[in-house]
Amino acid sequence: MTVSSAVSYYLWVVPHVLLGTIVFGMIRRRSYRHFPMFLLYTVFEILQFGLLFGISLSPVGLESYKHAYSIGLGFSAGVRFAVIYELYRHFSRRYPTLDGPGRYLFCGSIVVLLVIATAVGVSAPATSANSFFNATYALDRAVSVLQAGLLISLFAFSRYFALSWRTHAFGIALGLGIFASVELATSFVWLHLGAFGNRAVNLFTMATYHLCVLIWMFYLLRPEEPTSYILNPLPKHDLDVWNNELQRLVQR
Amino acid sequence: MTTTIILVVMSLLALTCLLWLAKGRTVSASILQNPTEHMRAVDVEAFRNLVDPDEEEFLRAHLSPPEFRRIQRERLRAAVEYVSCAAQNAAILLRVADAGRRSSDPATAQAAEKLVDNAIRLRLYASLAIPRLYMGMILPGAHISPIRIAESYEQMTRLVVLLGCLQYPTRGISAAL
Repeated sequence: MTVSSAVSYYLWVVPHVLLGTIVFGMIRRRSYRHFPMFLLYTVFEILQFGLLFGISLSPVGLESYKHAYSIGLGFSAGVRFAVIYELYRHFSRRYPTLDGPGRYLFCGSIVVLLVIATAVGVSAPATSANSFFNATYALDRAVSVLQAGLLISLFAFSRYFALSWRTHAFGIALGLGIFASVELATSFVWLHLGAFGNRAVNLFTMATYHLCVLIWMFYLLRPEEPTSYILNPLPKHDLDVWNNELQRLVQR
Repeated sequence: MTTTIILVVMSLLALTCLLWLAKGRTVSASILQNPTEHMRAVDVEAFRNLVDPDEEEFLRAHLSPPEFRRIQRERLRAAVEYVSCAAQNAAILLRVADAGRRSSDPATAQAAEKLVDNAIRLRLYASLAIPRLYMGMILPGAHISPIRIAESYEQMTRLVVLLGCLQYPTRGISAAL
């Protein structure tokens, strides 16, 4: 086994083992009640890994592997959308005033990003003779555009309104965002190279996924940090202003 | 090749943007350590005067058109500054009140909830009012009415006082408002 193969196996197996610890931690801490879709995503990723690893060891061939991978990719993309929607809902629940604007932002972002994703999809040439794989990878690029864009809008939205993230939600969004952005970049490189499965690009994508799993572990397996702040006592001359304000309040 | 490079660079820019926005979370946390230092004084009455339609009509009637346009642009520029300050204060107060929502005292929690609600509304109104004020600068004759910002800001100020009283009877942040 070469060093490259060993690294490849490490980057393939270890993140999924770590995902197992995340699932265990989420069930133990009952945090799956807040993020059920993320739990579904992690469980699905583990199951998909098991299936693909089994196929890779069996003599069924590369085509079966690619088909299983493509189908899994479609389902995984769908669940990731559900996770992003879950993050938007997380803010709506915490800040009911933002329910309406948040929904507009989510729907508006999807429309704009769909246009961008379609433009990217149309401009990209087909790289495989197999139309099924071409469709799969075009869908993958479109999904990456949508997911990266939605997560950027979510972060921008929370930043503009100075909303406080719960630690778990922040970790999930950060990991997903990094992965979607890097996957988008690598999908364009794949497109240029004209070959699926370029080793260096694959290793880079797998390493990024490993990093994202570590981010999820870091944020999901630690307790929520309480927001604490200290208000400094006001200087003496400000007490008059304070009293005036109180007086105004009482008179209303 | 060039298209690929452009698309890859755009993807990496998206990643940078995401990380920059995510980093803002910790910056906000540092502001919470001393909110009063980051808040700026906002004179609601002065703002009301700047966006008062009667005042605008008076200026229009008594000044030559070029002078009116120049003065109106200056007034609206000042109004944008006021709204930005109020919105910035609202952002700080929102984070402060957010912590108050978890108070064991129901009155404090309720006041904090209301403050959060008002601060969010103010940010929303500000996001709508600022483009309108800029539009007013481009077209000085156009009618604009961001008075709602002033009302929302006043309501928020009252809630800050209430929250401050409930949480820290001997301290406060309302003086900065």
